[in-house]
Amino acid sequence: MARYGMVFDMKRCIGCNACVVGCKQENSLPDGVFFTKTLSEEYGVYPSVKRVYIPTLCNHCEDAPCEKVCPSGATYTRDDGIVMVDSDKCIGCGSCAVACPYDQRTELKADMFKNGLFQEGELTPFEEQGYARFTPGMVTKCDFCSGRVDAGLDPACVVTCPTDARIFGDLDDPNSKPSRLIQERGGRQPLPEKNTRPKVYYID
Amino acid sequence: MAAQDLPIVGDSFKLGFRFQRYWDMPMANAFFACEFGAGMFLVSLLVNYVPGMIAGLVIGVGLKSFFHLTHMGVPLKSWRALLRPDRSWISRGLLGIVFFVCFGAAHIANQWYGLSTAWNLPGFVGDLVRFGAGAAAVVCMTYQGLAMSHSSAISLWSTGLMPISSFVYSAASGVMLVLATAWNSFLAERPDTRQMLITAGLFLCFAVVAVIVSLLHASRHGSPGARKSFELLTQTLYAKWFYSLIWVVGIFVPVLVLWLTPTHAAIIIATAAILLGHYAYRVLIFKAGVFEPIMSFRP
Repeated sequence: MARYGMVFDMKRCIGCNACVVGCKQENSLPDGVFFTKTLSEEYGVYPSVKRVYIPTLCNHCEDAPCEKVCPSGATYTRDDGIVMVDSDKCIGCGSCAVACPYDQRTELKADMFKNGLFQEGELTPFEEQGYARFTPGMVTKCDFCSGRVDAGLDPACVVTCPTDARIFGDLDDPNSKPSRLIQERGGRQPLPEKNTRPKVYYID
Repeated sequence: MAAQDLPIVGDSFKLGFRFQRYWDMPMANAFFACEFGAGMFLVSLLVNYVPGMIAGLVIGVGLKSFFHLTHMGVPLKSWRALLRPDRSWISRGLLGIVFFVCFGAAHIANQWYGLSTAWNLPGFVGDLVRFGAGAAAVVCMTYQGLAMSHSSAISLWSTGLMPISSFVYSAASGVMLVLATAWNSFLAERPDTRQMLITAGLFLCFAVVAVIVSLLHASRHGSPGARKSFELLTQTLYAKWFYSLIWVVGIFVPVLVLWLTPTHAAIIIATAAILLGHYAYRVLIFKAGVFEPIMSFRP
Protein backbone atom coordinates (compact mmCIF):
# COMPACT_ATOMS: atom_id res chain seq x y z
CA MET A 1 0.00 0.00 0.00
CA ALA A 2 1.22 3.45 -0.91
CA ARG A 3 1.88 6.14 1.70
CA TYR A 4 0.99 9.40 0.04
CA GLY A 5 2.75 12.65 0.71
CA MET A 6 3.62 15.92 -0.96
CA VAL A 7 6.76 17.94 -1.55
CA PHE A 8 6.78 21.71 -2.01
CA ASP A 9 9.63 23.07 -4.07
CA MET A 10 9.97 26.59 -2.70
CA LYS A 11 12.39 27.55 -5.45
CA ARG A 12 9.66 26.95 -8.00
CA CYS A 13 6.65 28.45 -6.22
CA ILE A 14 5.83 31.88 -7.66
CA GLY A 15 2.92 32.65 -5.34
CA CYS A 16 0.30 32.75 -8.12
CA ASN A 17 -2.26 30.97 -5.91
CA ALA A 18 -3.55 28.92 -8.85
CA CYS A 19 -3.42 25.93 -6.47
CA VAL A 20 -5.78 27.75 -4.10
CA VAL A 21 -8.27 28.43 -6.87
CA GLY A 22 -7.97 24.89 -8.23
CA CYS A 23 -8.61 23.48 -4.76
CA LYS A 24 -11.63 25.69 -4.14
CA GLN A 25 -13.09 24.71 -7.49
CA GLU A 26 -12.43 20.99 -7.11
CA ASN A 27 -13.88 20.87 -3.60
CA SER A 28 -16.67 23.47 -4.06
CA LEU A 29 -15.46 25.35 -1.01
CA PRO A 30 -17.67 28.16 0.27
CA ASP A 31 -16.48 31.74 0.65
CA GLY A 32 -13.74 32.08 3.27
CA VAL A 33 -12.84 28.38 3.36
CA PHE A 34 -9.45 27.26 2.09
CA PHE A 35 -7.91 23.79 2.16
CA THR A 36 -4.65 25.20 0.91
CA LYS A 37 -3.02 28.61 1.11
CA THR A 38 0.19 30.03 -0.27
CA LEU A 39 1.67 32.22 2.43
CA SER A 40 4.24 34.87 1.68
CA GLU A 41 7.04 36.30 3.74
CA GLU A 42 9.66 38.95 3.07
CA TYR A 43 12.96 38.91 4.87
CA GLY A 44 16.31 40.57 4.74
CA VAL A 45 17.40 44.22 4.73
CA TYR A 46 17.50 46.46 1.64
CA PRO A 47 19.11 45.85 -0.81
CA SER A 48 19.29 42.16 0.09
CA VAL A 49 15.58 41.51 0.40
CA LYS A 50 13.89 38.27 -0.54
CA ARG A 51 10.29 37.16 -0.73
CA VAL A 52 9.43 33.50 -0.28
CA TYR A 53 6.16 31.73 -0.90
CA ILE A 54 5.18 28.94 1.43
CA PRO A 55 2.38 26.67 0.23
CA THR A 56 0.44 25.05 3.07
CA LEU A 57 -2.22 22.39 3.40
CA CYS A 58 -3.11 19.57 5.76
CA ASN A 59 0.12 17.69 6.43
CA HIS A 60 -1.60 14.30 6.79
CA CYS A 61 0.62 13.60 9.80
CA GLU A 62 1.71 10.06 10.62
CA ASP A 63 1.00 10.82 14.27
CA ALA A 64 -1.99 13.08 13.62
CA PRO A 65 -2.97 15.01 16.77
CA CYS A 66 -6.38 15.78 15.25
CA GLU A 67 -7.14 12.08 15.06
CA LYS A 68 -5.97 11.47 18.63
CA VAL A 69 -8.27 14.09 20.16
CA CYS A 70 -11.38 13.44 18.03
CA PRO A 71 -14.04 12.26 20.52
CA SER A 72 -16.42 10.86 17.91
CA GLY A 73 -14.04 8.89 15.71
CA ALA A 74 -14.81 11.15 12.74
CA THR A 75 -11.15 11.74 11.96
CA TYR A 76 -9.34 8.66 10.74
CA THR A 77 -6.33 7.71 8.66
CA ARG A 78 -6.76 5.61 5.55
CA ASP A 79 -4.38 2.76 4.79
CA ASP A 80 -2.64 4.99 2.26
CA GLY A 81 -1.91 7.59 4.96
CA ILE A 82 -4.51 10.18 3.95
CA VAL A 83 -6.16 11.68 7.04
CA MET A 84 -9.91 12.00 6.46
CA VAL A 85 -12.95 13.48 8.21
CA ASP A 86 -16.17 11.47 8.12
CA SER A 87 -18.90 14.10 7.76
CA ASP A 88 -21.54 11.71 9.14
CA LYS A 89 -19.62 11.29 12.39
CA CYS A 90 -18.25 14.81 12.96
CA ILE A 91 -20.02 16.65 15.79
CA GLY A 92 -18.28 19.99 15.22
CA CYS A 93 -16.71 20.20 18.69
CA GLY A 94 -13.57 21.82 17.26
CA SER A 95 -11.14 19.79 19.36
CA CYS A 96 -9.30 18.70 16.18
CA ALA A 97 -9.06 22.34 15.08
CA VAL A 98 -7.32 23.40 18.30
CA ALA A 99 -5.12 20.28 18.20
CA CYS A 100 -3.73 20.87 14.70
CA PRO A 101 -0.44 22.79 15.07
CA TYR A 102 -0.72 23.91 11.44
CA ASP A 103 -4.17 25.50 11.77
CA GLN A 104 -5.38 23.55 8.77
CA ARG A 105 -8.92 22.81 9.86
CA THR A 106 -12.01 24.89 9.19
CA GLU A 107 -15.37 24.94 10.90
CA LEU A 108 -18.16 25.13 8.32
CA LYS A 109 -20.65 27.59 9.77
CA ALA A 110 -24.22 27.28 8.57
CA ASP A 111 -24.28 30.83 7.17
CA MET A 112 -21.36 30.03 4.85
CA PHE A 113 -23.73 28.06 2.64
CA LYS A 114 -26.44 30.71 2.35
CA ASN A 115 -24.63 33.06 0.02
CA GLY A 116 -23.00 32.07 -3.23
CA LEU A 117 -19.75 33.53 -4.40
CA PHE A 118 -21.44 35.64 -7.06
CA GLN A 119 -24.79 36.73 -5.68
CA GLU A 120 -26.07 37.25 -2.15
CA GLY A 121 -28.73 34.74 -1.17
CA GLU A 122 -28.42 32.74 -4.40
CA LEU A 123 -26.38 29.70 -5.25
CA THR A 124 -25.26 28.66 -8.69
CA PRO A 125 -26.07 25.07 -9.74
CA PHE A 126 -22.35 24.30 -9.28
CA GLU A 127 -22.44 25.62 -5.70
CA GLU A 128 -25.70 23.81 -4.90
CA GLN A 129 -24.29 20.53 -6.08
CA GLY A 130 -20.93 21.10 -4.38
CA TYR A 131 -22.21 22.34 -1.01
CA ALA A 132 -24.41 19.25 -0.69
CA ARG A 133 -21.37 17.17 0.30
CA PHE A 134 -20.80 19.26 3.45
CA THR A 135 -22.72 19.12 6.71
CA PRO A 136 -23.06 22.64 8.16
CA GLY A 137 -21.33 22.77 11.54
CA MET A 138 -18.78 20.08 10.77
CA VAL A 139 -15.03 20.61 10.70
CA THR A 140 -13.32 19.92 7.42
CA LYS A 141 -9.89 19.99 5.79
CA CYS A 142 -7.84 18.93 2.78
CA ASP A 143 -8.05 15.22 1.97
CA PHE A 144 -5.41 15.24 -0.79
CA CYS A 145 -8.40 15.09 -3.20
CA SER A 146 -8.93 11.47 -2.12
CA GLY A 147 -11.53 10.91 -4.85
CA ARG A 148 -9.04 11.90 -7.53
CA VAL A 149 -6.27 9.85 -5.89
CA ASP A 150 -8.53 6.79 -5.83
CA ALA A 151 -9.10 7.31 -9.55
CA GLY A 152 -5.35 7.38 -10.15
CA LEU A 153 -5.14 11.18 -10.56
CA ASP A 154 -3.05 13.76 -8.73
CA PRO A 155 -4.71 16.25 -6.35
CA ALA A 156 -6.22 19.33 -8.01
CA CYS A 157 -3.61 21.71 -6.55
CA VAL A 158 -0.80 19.60 -8.00
CA VAL A 159 -2.37 19.48 -11.45
CA THR A 160 -3.11 23.23 -11.40
CA CYS A 161 0.37 24.36 -10.36
CA PRO A 162 1.96 25.96 -13.45
CA THR A 163 5.52 25.59 -12.16
CA ASP A 164 5.43 22.03 -10.81
CA ALA A 165 6.15 23.35 -7.33
CA ARG A 166 3.87 20.72 -5.80
CA ILE A 167 4.93 17.11 -6.20
CA PHE A 168 2.64 14.34 -5.01
CA GLY A 169 3.41 10.66 -4.70
CA ASP A 170 4.21 7.59 -2.67
CA LEU A 171 6.72 8.33 0.07
CA ASP A 172 7.30 4.60 0.66
CA ASP A 173 8.54 4.15 -2.89
CA PRO A 174 12.21 5.22 -2.91
CA ASN A 175 12.01 5.80 -6.66
CA SER A 176 8.97 8.08 -6.58
CA LYS A 177 9.58 11.71 -7.47
CA PRO A 178 8.81 13.10 -4.00
CA SER A 179 11.03 10.49 -2.31
CA ARG A 180 13.91 11.30 -4.60
CA LEU A 181 13.52 15.04 -4.09
CA ILE A 182 13.44 14.61 -0.32
CA GLN A 183 16.62 12.53 -0.43
CA GLU A 184 18.49 14.67 -2.93
CA ARG A 185 17.55 18.12 -1.67
CA GLY A 186 16.95 17.49 2.02
CA GLY A 187 13.21 17.76 2.58
CA ARG A 188 12.21 19.53 5.77
CA GLN A 189 8.93 19.07 7.58
CA PRO A 190 6.96 21.97 9.07
CA LEU A 191 7.18 22.36 12.86
CA PRO A 192 9.09 19.10 13.40
CA GLU A 193 9.30 19.94 17.11
CA LYS A 194 5.59 19.15 17.43
CA ASN A 195 6.38 15.46 16.76
CA THR A 196 3.46 14.96 14.42
CA ARG A 197 5.60 13.51 11.59
CA PRO A 198 4.00 15.38 8.67
CA LYS A 199 3.91 13.76 5.23
CA VAL A 200 4.48 17.15 3.63
CA TYR A 201 8.05 18.29 2.95
CA TYR A 202 9.61 21.56 1.88
CA ILE A 203 12.70 21.75 -0.30
CA ASP A 204 14.60 24.86 -1.27
CA MET B 1 13.78 36.86 10.94
CA ALA B 2 13.21 34.78 14.06
CA ALA B 3 9.78 33.18 14.48
CA GLN B 4 9.19 35.26 17.63
CA ASP B 5 9.41 38.50 15.61
CA LEU B 6 6.65 37.52 13.19
CA PRO B 7 3.33 39.35 13.57
CA ILE B 8 -0.13 38.00 14.28
CA VAL B 9 -1.61 37.62 10.81
CA GLY B 10 -5.21 36.53 11.29
CA ASP B 11 -6.62 34.71 8.28
CA SER B 12 -4.38 36.48 5.78
CA PHE B 13 -1.99 34.73 3.38
CA LYS B 14 1.03 35.87 5.40
CA LEU B 15 3.42 33.88 7.55
CA GLY B 16 2.95 34.54 11.25
CA PHE B 17 1.08 33.71 14.42
CA ARG B 18 -2.63 32.98 14.20
CA PHE B 19 -5.17 33.26 16.99
CA GLN B 20 -7.11 30.14 17.80
CA ARG B 21 -10.77 31.07 17.58
CA TYR B 22 -12.29 27.59 17.35
CA TRP B 23 -12.88 27.44 21.09
CA ASP B 24 -14.31 30.80 21.99
CA MET B 25 -16.92 32.29 24.33
CA PRO B 26 -19.47 29.42 24.42
CA MET B 27 -16.67 26.98 25.19
CA ALA B 28 -15.22 29.33 27.85
CA ASN B 29 -18.70 29.61 29.40
CA ALA B 30 -19.09 25.82 29.37
CA PHE B 31 -15.69 25.21 30.96
CA PHE B 32 -16.32 27.90 33.58
CA ALA B 33 -19.80 26.59 34.47
CA CYS B 34 -18.56 23.02 34.81
CA GLU B 35 -15.56 24.05 36.91
CA PHE B 36 -17.35 26.21 39.44
CA GLY B 37 -20.41 23.92 39.56
CA ALA B 38 -18.33 20.81 40.17
CA GLY B 39 -16.17 22.73 42.65
CA MET B 40 -19.24 23.82 44.60
CA PHE B 41 -20.51 20.24 44.58
CA LEU B 42 -17.22 18.82 45.85
CA VAL B 43 -16.85 21.36 48.67
CA SER B 44 -20.51 20.87 49.65
CA LEU B 45 -19.95 17.11 49.60
CA LEU B 46 -16.95 17.44 51.90
CA VAL B 47 -18.90 19.52 54.45
CA ASN B 48 -22.18 17.65 53.80
CA TYR B 49 -24.13 20.73 52.66
CA VAL B 50 -26.97 19.29 50.54
CA PRO B 51 -28.35 22.54 48.95
CA GLY B 52 -24.82 23.30 47.76
CA MET B 53 -24.57 19.84 46.21
CA ILE B 54 -27.87 20.36 44.37
CA ALA B 55 -26.84 23.80 43.11
CA GLY B 56 -23.40 22.53 42.08
CA LEU B 57 -24.86 19.59 40.19
CA VAL B 58 -27.45 21.74 38.39
CA ILE B 59 -24.89 24.41 37.43
CA GLY B 60 -22.10 21.98 36.58
CA VAL B 61 -24.25 19.78 34.39
CA GLY B 62 -27.13 21.98 33.22
CA LEU B 63 -25.30 25.20 32.38
CA LYS B 64 -22.29 23.39 30.96
CA SER B 65 -24.44 21.22 28.70
CA PHE B 66 -26.34 24.28 27.49
CA PHE B 67 -23.19 26.18 26.58
CA HIS B 68 -21.59 23.10 25.04
CA LEU B 69 -24.59 22.55 22.81
CA THR B 70 -24.48 26.17 21.68
CA HIS B 71 -20.83 25.62 20.72
CA MET B 72 -21.31 22.31 18.90
CA GLY B 73 -21.47 22.51 15.12
CA VAL B 74 -23.78 19.50 14.91
CA PRO B 75 -25.50 19.41 18.33
CA LEU B 76 -27.85 16.53 17.47
CA LYS B 77 -24.85 14.25 17.10
CA SER B 78 -23.24 15.32 20.38
CA TRP B 79 -23.80 11.89 21.90
CA ARG B 80 -21.04 10.64 19.61
CA ALA B 81 -18.55 12.48 21.84
CA LEU B 82 -18.82 9.52 24.23
CA LEU B 83 -17.34 7.09 21.74
CA ARG B 84 -13.58 7.49 22.10
CA PRO B 85 -12.60 7.55 25.80
CA ASP B 86 -9.51 5.56 24.84
CA ARG B 87 -7.91 8.62 23.23
CA SER B 88 -9.89 11.82 23.75
CA TRP B 89 -10.21 13.88 26.93
CA ILE B 90 -13.49 15.26 25.59
CA SER B 91 -14.90 11.71 25.66
CA ARG B 92 -13.42 11.00 29.08
CA GLY B 93 -14.81 14.26 30.43
CA LEU B 94 -18.25 13.52 29.05
CA LEU B 95 -18.16 10.11 30.71
CA GLY B 96 -17.11 11.89 33.91
CA ILE B 97 -20.17 14.13 33.61
CA VAL B 98 -22.43 11.10 33.13
CA PHE B 99 -20.96 9.55 36.30
CA PHE B 100 -21.23 12.93 38.03
CA VAL B 101 -24.96 13.08 37.26
CA CYS B 102 -25.61 9.48 38.32
CA PHE B 103 -23.51 9.37 41.51
CA GLY B 104 -24.21 12.99 42.43
CA ALA B 105 -27.99 12.58 42.13
CA ALA B 106 -27.84 9.23 43.98
CA HIS B 107 -25.83 10.77 46.82
CA ILE B 108 -28.15 13.78 47.11
CA ALA B 109 -31.20 11.47 47.14
CA ASN B 110 -29.52 9.35 49.80
CA GLN B 111 -28.77 12.40 51.94
CA TRP B 112 -32.20 13.95 51.43
CA TYR B 113 -34.39 10.88 51.87
CA GLY B 114 -32.05 8.53 53.78
CA LEU B 115 -32.47 5.85 51.11
CA SER B 116 -29.72 3.51 52.31
CA THR B 117 -31.34 3.33 55.77
CA ALA B 118 -34.86 3.01 54.40
CA TRP B 119 -33.82 0.24 52.01
CA ASN B 120 -31.57 -1.47 54.61
CA LEU B 121 -28.54 -1.25 52.34
CA PRO B 122 -25.10 -2.11 53.75
CA GLY B 123 -23.21 0.96 54.97
CA PHE B 124 -20.49 0.70 52.34
CA VAL B 125 -23.01 1.32 49.51
CA GLY B 126 -23.65 4.87 50.71
CA ASP B 127 -19.92 5.43 51.11
CA LEU B 128 -19.30 4.06 47.64
CA VAL B 129 -21.87 6.42 46.09
CA ARG B 130 -20.36 9.34 48.03
CA PHE B 131 -16.86 8.44 46.87
CA GLY B 132 -18.08 8.01 43.28
CA ALA B 133 -19.78 11.42 43.36
CA GLY B 134 -16.62 13.06 44.73
CA ALA B 135 -14.36 11.34 42.21
CA ALA B 136 -16.65 12.29 39.29
CA ALA B 137 -16.71 15.89 40.55
CA VAL B 138 -12.89 15.96 40.57
CA VAL B 139 -12.87 14.68 36.97
CA CYS B 140 -15.33 17.46 35.99
CA MET B 141 -13.17 20.03 37.77
CA THR B 142 -9.99 19.04 35.94
CA TYR B 143 -10.73 17.44 32.58
CA GLN B 144 -11.07 20.76 30.79
CA GLY B 145 -7.46 21.51 31.62
CA LEU B 146 -6.45 18.03 30.53
CA ALA B 147 -8.28 18.45 27.21
CA MET B 148 -6.41 21.71 26.64
CA SER B 149 -2.98 20.45 27.67
CA HIS B 150 -3.30 17.23 25.65
CA SER B 151 -2.28 18.86 22.38
CA SER B 152 0.97 20.57 21.53
CA ALA B 153 -0.58 22.89 18.92
CA ILE B 154 -1.15 25.83 21.26
CA SER B 155 1.95 26.20 23.36
CA LEU B 156 0.30 28.25 26.11
CA TRP B 157 -2.05 25.36 26.83
CA SER B 158 0.45 22.57 26.35
CA THR B 159 1.48 22.32 29.98
CA GLY B 160 0.61 20.18 32.97
CA LEU B 161 -0.33 23.38 34.77
CA MET B 162 -3.62 23.55 32.83
CA PRO B 163 -5.46 20.81 34.78
CA ILE B 164 -3.96 22.11 38.04
CA SER B 165 -5.22 25.62 37.29
CA SER B 166 -8.65 24.18 36.49
CA PHE B 167 -8.69 22.33 39.80
CA VAL B 168 -7.50 25.15 42.05
CA TYR B 169 -9.78 27.76 40.45
CA SER B 170 -12.67 25.31 40.61
CA ALA B 171 -12.02 24.51 44.28
CA ALA B 172 -11.55 28.20 45.17
CA SER B 173 -14.82 29.15 43.48
CA GLY B 174 -16.55 26.21 45.19
CA VAL B 175 -15.31 27.20 48.65
CA MET B 176 -16.40 30.81 48.18
CA LEU B 177 -19.83 29.82 46.85
CA VAL B 178 -20.45 27.53 49.81
CA LEU B 179 -19.33 30.29 52.19
CA ALA B 180 -21.61 32.83 50.49
CA THR B 181 -24.70 30.64 50.31
CA ALA B 182 -24.47 28.81 53.66
CA TRP B 183 -23.08 31.63 55.85
CA ASN B 184 -26.30 32.38 57.74
CA SER B 185 -27.80 28.90 57.62
CA PHE B 186 -25.70 25.76 57.49
CA LEU B 187 -22.40 27.37 58.48
CA ALA B 188 -23.95 29.53 61.25
CA GLU B 189 -24.38 26.34 63.30
CA ARG B 190 -20.88 25.10 62.45
CA PRO B 191 -18.34 27.86 63.22
CA ASP B 192 -15.43 25.41 62.97
CA THR B 193 -16.43 24.43 59.43
CA ARG B 194 -16.88 28.09 58.53
CA GLN B 195 -13.41 28.95 59.80
CA MET B 196 -11.97 25.94 58.02
CA LEU B 197 -13.55 27.08 54.72
CA ILE B 198 -12.22 30.63 55.18
CA THR B 199 -8.72 29.22 55.71
CA ALA B 200 -9.16 26.88 52.73
CA GLY B 201 -10.34 29.79 50.56
CA LEU B 202 -7.28 31.81 51.51
CA PHE B 203 -5.00 28.87 50.84
CA LEU B 204 -6.62 28.25 47.44
CA CYS B 205 -6.21 31.91 46.46
CA PHE B 206 -2.49 31.56 47.10
CA ALA B 207 -2.51 28.30 45.12
CA VAL B 208 -4.12 30.18 42.21
CA VAL B 209 -1.35 32.79 42.45
CA ALA B 210 1.31 30.07 42.40
CA VAL B 211 -0.24 28.33 39.40
CA ILE B 212 -0.68 31.53 37.36
CA VAL B 213 2.86 32.69 38.12
CA SER B 214 4.16 29.24 37.11
CA LEU B 215 2.09 29.35 33.93
CA LEU B 216 3.47 32.78 33.05
CA HIS B 217 7.01 31.62 33.80
CA ALA B 218 6.57 28.53 31.61
CA SER B 219 5.15 30.56 28.73
CA ARG B 220 7.78 33.33 29.09
CA HIS B 221 10.53 30.75 28.65
CA GLY B 222 8.69 28.44 26.26
CA SER B 223 8.39 28.18 22.48
CA PRO B 224 7.75 31.23 20.26
CA GLY B 225 3.99 30.64 20.46
CA ALA B 226 4.05 30.51 24.25
CA ARG B 227 6.12 33.71 24.37
CA LYS B 228 3.65 35.43 22.04
CA SER B 229 0.80 34.39 24.35
CA PHE B 230 2.79 35.70 27.32
CA GLU B 231 3.16 39.06 25.55
CA LEU B 232 -0.55 39.17 24.75
CA LEU B 233 -1.47 38.50 28.37
CA THR B 234 1.01 40.69 30.15
CA GLN B 235 2.09 43.44 27.76
CA THR B 236 -0.20 44.00 24.80
CA LEU B 237 -3.75 43.13 23.76
CA TYR B 238 -5.15 41.50 26.91
CA ALA B 239 -2.84 42.99 29.54
CA LYS B 240 -5.39 45.43 31.02
CA TRP B 241 -7.97 42.66 31.44
CA PHE B 242 -5.39 40.23 32.74
CA TYR B 243 -4.10 42.56 35.46
CA SER B 244 -7.39 44.16 36.45
CA LEU B 245 -9.74 41.15 36.37
CA ILE B 246 -7.51 38.20 37.20
CA TRP B 247 -5.05 39.80 39.62
CA VAL B 248 -6.81 42.74 41.26
CA VAL B 249 -10.46 41.62 41.24
CA GLY B 250 -9.98 37.85 41.12
CA ILE B 251 -7.19 37.45 43.66
CA PHE B 252 -6.41 40.62 45.59
CA VAL B 253 -10.03 41.36 46.62
CA PRO B 254 -10.86 37.82 47.87
CA VAL B 255 -7.56 37.55 49.75
CA LEU B 256 -8.17 40.90 51.41
CA VAL B 257 -11.71 39.95 52.43
CA LEU B 258 -10.83 36.47 53.69
CA TRP B 259 -7.85 37.81 55.62
CA LEU B 260 -9.30 40.97 57.12
CA THR B 261 -13.11 41.16 57.08
CA PRO B 262 -14.81 37.80 56.65
CA THR B 263 -18.40 39.07 57.17
CA HIS B 264 -21.29 37.75 55.10
CA ALA B 265 -21.60 40.87 52.93
CA ALA B 266 -17.86 40.93 52.33
CA ILE B 267 -17.84 37.21 51.53
CA ILE B 268 -20.55 37.75 48.89
CA ILE B 269 -18.41 40.47 47.30
CA ALA B 270 -15.34 38.23 47.47
CA THR B 271 -17.29 35.36 45.88
CA ALA B 272 -18.41 37.57 43.01
CA ALA B 273 -14.81 38.77 42.66
CA ILE B 274 -13.28 35.30 42.53
CA LEU B 275 -15.90 34.10 40.06
CA LEU B 276 -15.16 37.10 37.86
CA GLY B 277 -11.44 36.34 38.07
CA HIS B 278 -12.06 32.68 37.28
CA TYR B 279 -14.23 33.58 34.29
CA ALA B 280 -11.68 36.12 33.04
CA TYR B 281 -8.96 33.47 33.33
CA ARG B 282 -10.99 31.02 31.25
CA VAL B 283 -11.75 33.59 28.54
CA LEU B 284 -8.26 35.08 28.37
CA ILE B 285 -6.51 31.71 28.22
CA PHE B 286 -8.65 30.89 25.19
CA LYS B 287 -8.16 34.31 23.62
CA ALA B 288 -4.39 34.37 24.11
CA GLY B 289 -3.84 30.94 22.57
CA VAL B 290 -1.98 31.21 19.27
CA PHE B 291 -0.84 28.84 16.56
CA GLU B 292 2.84 29.16 15.76
CA PRO B 293 4.13 30.17 12.31
CA ILE B 294 4.17 27.04 10.17
CA MET B 295 7.89 27.48 9.48
CA SER B 296 10.14 27.19 12.47
CA PHE B 297 13.14 27.08 10.10
CA ARG B 298 14.39 29.90 7.88
CA PRO B 299 13.31 29.32 4.27
